[in-house]
Amino acid sequence: MSKLYRTREGTISAVDTKTQLTTLGSETAPGPLLVPAGAKRLTATILAYATSQAVAADGSVILRLEGPGLPEGPETLVVGSQGVAVATGGHGSRSARRIELDIPVVAANEILLFAENVGEDVGDVTVGATLEFTM
Amino acid sequence: MSRTITVEGDVNTIDTRTLLTGQGSVTAPSLVVPAGMTKIKKIIVTAAADGLAAGHVVNFMRLGGNAVLNGEQVFVFGGEDSIAPQAGSDAAPSLGEFFMIDDADIDVRSSDTISIAGEAAGVDVGDQTFAITLVYGK
Repeated sequence: MSKLYRTREGTISAVDTKTQLTTLGSETAPGPLLVPAGAKRLTATILAYATSQAVAADGSVILRLEGPGLPEGPETLVVGSQGVAVATGGHGSRSARRIELDIPVVAANEILLFAENVGEDVGDVTVGATLEFTM
Repeated sequence: MSRTITVEGDVNTIDTRTLLTGQGSVTAPSLVVPAGMTKIKKIIVTAAADGLAAGHVVNFMRLGGNAVLNGEQVFVFGGEDSIAPQAGSDAAPSLGEFFMIDDADIDVRSSDTISIAGEAAGVDVGDQTFAITLVYGK
């Protein structure tokens, strides 16, 4: 059983607002994230984020997975959180987190990824999400 | 049996696919998948930024080339953010802990060449150095 990895990223700029992740760095229009042919399960997500630290506030980031590629309906996952006391002089480095899952998927159908800043507005947040599919 | 390859390189420009081809004092390590190896079993990757620009990025790797059988595989491995300190003060260091995928299970073909690239997306945080190890197996 080999695995296949699909990734999207994007930047959130408003609190409590679903923001779709549609780009991939230098690929500004990679197209819909389709469940690869032959894939049967979404077996993990790998999530990373970074914030502008430009607002003295605290908030969390969540990921929403939606679309016809998920026959059981939408899913949500925590990505991380951020808080700063002053909006100067911050420097952060975070490893991604891998979350094991066991979610059925429908091959050749789309999964839409949305990130959202919840709680207080922490400024701009860039979020990356990788989906790990198992054949 | 396992075999490893480690490469590193600077990723200094946002939204730019940057090939990682160096290994410190070894400037051009072989990127040929060792004979008999059929899988990438583990991936270990790290990065750190100098934070000389106020920004926020997510970093990701691209594994491609003729050796990767199911096409390019892309995965995020971390985030970096920075905001300028007040005049006369210092910012904390960026300490990049590594991220590891324990059972990557990516099909490869031995004796063919793998392409390993790094990229940052978001808002530029300055210069970064990426390092990645692939552990091959059967």
